[in-house]
Amino acid sequence: MFRTTRKRMLPVVALTASIAMLAAACSDSTDPKDNPKPGGSAAPTSDGPAEKVDRPLVVFAGSQSPITPNFNPYAPTVLHGALGPIYETLFHYNKTKAVDPEPMLGESFEFNEDGTELTIKLRAGVKWNDGKDFTADDVVFSFTNVAKAAYIESAEAVDATTVKLKFNAPSFTNEWAVLGASFMVPKHVFGEFTSLDKLVAFANDKAPVGTGPFVLEAATSASYTLKANPNYWQEGKPALQEVQYLAIDGNSSAQAMMQAGEIDYMSLFVPNPESITGTGDVAMVNTPMDPTVLYTCANADLGCKGAQTDVAVRNALSLALDRATINEKAFVGLAGTISPTFALLGRDDKWIADGMPKEIAQQANVAEAEKVLTDAGYAKGSDGIFAKDGQKVSMTLKVISDWSDYVSATELIASQAKAAGIEVKVETTDWDGFSNARLSGDYELIIGGMVGTSLADPFQLYRDWFTGDYTQKVGTNLEPGEWNMTRYSNKIVDEAIQTAAGTRDEAVKKEAYGKVQAEIVRDLPYIPLIINATQSFFNTVDYSNWPTEDNMFAFPSSWGSVSSGIVLGNVQGPKK
Amino acid sequence: MKFYVRRITFYLVTLWAAISLNFFIPKLMPGNPADIFRENLLRQGGEITPAMEQTIQLLFGSPDDSLWEQYTRYWSNLLQWDLGVSTTKYPTPVTELLAEALPWTLVLVGTATVIAFVLGVGLGAWAGWKRGTWVDSLIPGSALLQSIPYFWLALVLVAVFSVNLGWFPIIGGYSAREFRAGPEMSWAFVSNAAFHAILPAATIVISSVGGWLIGMRNMMVATLSEDYVTTAEAKGLKPSRVFLTYATRNASLPSLAGFTITLGFVVAGSIVMEQVFSYPGIGKLMITAVTQKDFALMQGVFLVITLTVLAANFVMDIFYGLIDPRARQNV
Amino acid sequence: MSDIDLTPSAGADVGSPATEAARPTLSGPPQRGGVKAFLPRLTGKLAVGLFLTIGISLFAIIAPYVTQDPRNYDSDRFLPPSGAHLLGTNNLGADVLAQLAEGAAGSLMVGLVTGGIAIFLSLVFGIIAGYIGGWTDEVLSLITSIMLVIPGLPLIIVIAAYLESRSLIVIAIILGLTSWAGPAIVLRTQARSLRNRDYVAAARVAGERPHRIILVEILPNLLPLLAAQFLGAFIAAILAEAGLSFLGLGPSGSLTWGVMLNQAMAHNAFQVGAWWWFVPPGLLIALFGCGLSLINFSIDEIINPKLRNAPAAVKSVRKARKAGAEVASSATPKEA
Repeated sequence: MFRTTRKRMLPVVALTASIAMLAAACSDSTDPKDNPKPGGSAAPTSDGPAEKVDRPLVVFAGSQSPITPNFNPYAPTVLHGALGPIYETLFHYNKTKAVDPEPMLGESFEFNEDGTELTIKLRAGVKWNDGKDFTADDVVFSFTNVAKAAYIESAEAVDATTVKLKFNAPSFTNEWAVLGASFMVPKHVFGEFTSLDKLVAFANDKAPVGTGPFVLEAATSASYTLKANPNYWQEGKPALQEVQYLAIDGNSSAQAMMQAGEIDYMSLFVPNPESITGTGDVAMVNTPMDPTVLYTCANADLGCKGAQTDVAVRNALSLALDRATINEKAFVGLAGTISPTFALLGRDDKWIADGMPKEIAQQANVAEAEKVLTDAGYAKGSDGIFAKDGQKVSMTLKVISDWSDYVSATELIASQAKAAGIEVKVETTDWDGFSNARLSGDYELIIGGMVGTSLADPFQLYRDWFTGDYTQKVGTNLEPGEWNMTRYSNKIVDEAIQTAAGTRDEAVKKEAYGKVQAEIVRDLPYIPLIINATQSFFNTVDYSNWPTEDNMFAFPSSWGSVSSGIVLGNVQGPKK
Repeated sequence: MKFYVRRITFYLVTLWAAISLNFFIPKLMPGNPADIFRENLLRQGGEITPAMEQTIQLLFGSPDDSLWEQYTRYWSNLLQWDLGVSTTKYPTPVTELLAEALPWTLVLVGTATVIAFVLGVGLGAWAGWKRGTWVDSLIPGSALLQSIPYFWLALVLVAVFSVNLGWFPIIGGYSAREFRAGPEMSWAFVSNAAFHAILPAATIVISSVGGWLIGMRNMMVATLSEDYVTTAEAKGLKPSRVFLTYATRNASLPSLAGFTITLGFVVAGSIVMEQVFSYPGIGKLMITAVTQKDFALMQGVFLVITLTVLAANFVMDIFYGLIDPRARQNV
Repeated sequence: MSDIDLTPSAGADVGSPATEAARPTLSGPPQRGGVKAFLPRLTGKLAVGLFLTIGISLFAIIAPYVTQDPRNYDSDRFLPPSGAHLLGTNNLGADVLAQLAEGAAGSLMVGLVTGGIAIFLSLVFGIIAGYIGGWTDEVLSLITSIMLVIPGLPLIIVIAAYLESRSLIVIAIILGLTSWAGPAIVLRTQARSLRNRDYVAAARVAGERPHRIILVEILPNLLPLLAAQFLGAFIAAILAEAGLSFLGLGPSGSLTWGVMLNQAMAHNAFQVGAWWWFVPPGLLIALFGCGLSLINFSIDEIINPKLRNAPAAVKSVRKARKAGAEVASSATPKEA
């Protein structure tokens, strides 16, 4: 299975190449060959190639070459291996299922009545990988250092294993951000940074001190390697001795390498997964999470222009789409079915109000689409396109040229819409065009993604993408954190979301969501298309205990932050 | 003397203009790097934690000073060889990234260019010598090779030799699995790196050998009908002597000039190839910089490229000035 | 003075430095008025070149009317070539042959426009600088040299990235604006040389205006050279467009061979083994470029008669030898 590189070469090339490869080796003084081994006194001395009997598990998590070693969880360029495998959070939220958060560094937590205080019980006996104790002070520091979130007012250590956080407003909705996405860092390392820019500039690439199952072994511009933390707080974990993350540019290269057995674990869109799984050595799981939709600039009151500001046009377009074909051809049948309520089917079913459609129609209904337009006063022109008051139902659909699956989808959408008398003109653009359009609202249609929620509750998606508080007038750019690209603004939705934010009572929440769903299913500010596939591939010959469809103990993606630490901590192997 | 003063002045002016352009072009580019960075992270499959969200804006915050202040600071930093810090590879200084990437590109593309040149000129000289025979049928073949799109050839080579046959590695400058600590000074590493260089080098050689061949062949044919060659033959000199000393030597001058210039483009000429092979060179850095709007890195890469091209041109000018007195008058 | 062949910086064209540098410029003024001298003789190479070029051009012009709708996605994905789809279908079920035909038109358009712009600019910067001389020459030459030294592809990438929406024509213009410097230098050298010829001097003495001298006396003599430079720019543009498309910076909303290759790569045609999708565009680019190169080669033979006569001489000598005749031509190299 594991194919070593064959050593065949042309002597001439070797000779000429040798000269400056040596030069390369010399100039690479920045490479952490001379890295002090992390772990300090607690780490065993397993150096020396003679003792390395096992090969490392090889992961591709999306890093591109050259890799810059950065293991600072506060840095935007932090490497995948730092979050999860080295640094951990208090709880693990499994976003694939509707389950309770799983204790990690925290054991339990409790909000007060109005959601302004959160008391967290910590696990006792956890040590940092440099041998020091993990304490309540470290947790307090992690929440109140120079990178403190705005909604946190204060944090205090009640006793050695209890921490109390105070918020400046009811903060039920920040539960995941606080407990599931804030990484615990040691005060004795990060305490020295007195300002945010100093904190961010810290690469932390020598011996990052975390609590996770792995510690850093070596990092170069082509790869970085983690090795097992012998003092990890979970007994018997990790089973893996070494994990190596590779830098690869281009999905097709990664796919070919997985095929050749040179990668053991990766998550990547592969249009023909059978080319990898066909031999039976590799298993794939597909966990669709994030919706792909058509953003429509929907709200004429905030300055949107174009045919799509009429709800009848949006409805007709949605009816005209043959989502089954779009999924089959553009997304090679791997995408998930989307719910018009935007609740993730399977996981969030309990939040879909009675009477709301669960799945969106997969087949086109041209007759119905034409009826909707006719009822709204449109009539077909001689060119086969509907029009009203001399205005043709014609819209420009923007798509990023690099995103080949989206480009394919737009081509299908244009031809399907045409069949229903709607003209959709595809315009490919680059990142800037896409970004500017959706931030400023200066567009008619855009194909784009939505960020699925990290826990089994569509709240964040409703609030960030649908409410009037999270949008701006056309021409004014959205602020970071605001995602309502469509300029959709609806009092009923805004009020229902307010209600849901202030409660932990499921019945109240569900009633509020029902109001939201009724509005957005009718108004269609985002026209739902599919749920993006997230394919993960595992080498099941040499390694076992991967997540499976039946036992999805964590989000299986190799780039998932907390979850990848759980997955790698769980995997057994390699088999001898 | 006047010739050299003029040339040097010319190069200084060009250098100034090119470096200034390097400064202004990225400044003129639209787009918000922070936004691109964030979305790229999501698209590549990353999660943005709340802590990172806070720091991205800090990292990409644009300076408030005027363009002129930035320009003068750019020059003063440049003179101290400080090219700033890359944002996509934060917090690595650009100089470090360049120093790490440059040897790979220089060695691979340099070697391949030399091989292509020697091969092309050698075959071209031979084809010229054998003009009017079946060897002329090399010409259409060379013309075909010359027009093959680089990256297409690279992809086909990878699909055939790496993926299907499994003879060569798919990507990379060396096996990151075998050399986890990075490049090292050992025969094993060097041979590994050379092995990884075969397909990329083959791509360059195959697609550039045709140009050299045709050029050299034509020069050779022209030279062979010069009077002094005729005279040499008439004197009864050995064909091998006529071939080497009289014809090839003179005919290869323009090719040599072209070669010097091509060497200047060694750094720039491999962008597409490096992208296909994930080769850790300058071209890769440039793609990263341009697509992710990493301005400091972009300026650094452009600077290196411009400097090498200028240097190569300069060397060739001087070289020509030395061997060809006519060039000195005809500036 | 009159037979200086090379400027130091001639031909820094990345694609084919040697051809550029090695192309000897006119070694004497062609006979003016002798139109025949400009017409290449039909050799085998020229025939092949014309066949490829004209054939592919005709394909680009005619095929789009004959083939299916390149945007009809009703067929299955990745169908291998068959009677219904001569070159199979792509990832969406579109007919590859139809796409190839539309792509041909796109690619050739880019080549034509780019070649045209490059030649126009190189005429302005080359001939005017070369003929007028003095300060005009200094300034124009400096601009030319800077354009030559600034690496082309990076500059194109930056400009392409600057434009949010890139139509085919915009790409062609960018390529044209960045590829005229090489030809300009070659033309300048030639113009300088022609300026001092007797017949030009005579025209000047006779009181002809500069623009008339340039148009009537100088330009016609440069026609073969111009044609060669144009064809060179044409090939380079098609290749550059393909490279840009590969990097994802190609034209948006239209099909070219480069765009097809980019799509084939993005949709794993290489992994799936859908050779009918990724081989034809690359091959057509190579064949078309080959055709133009061969025509160019024949033009070279007009510019430099030695190229044409010498091989012919050798051939006739060999024929003569075969016939058993004793030949002692001075132009015969001894055959080893």
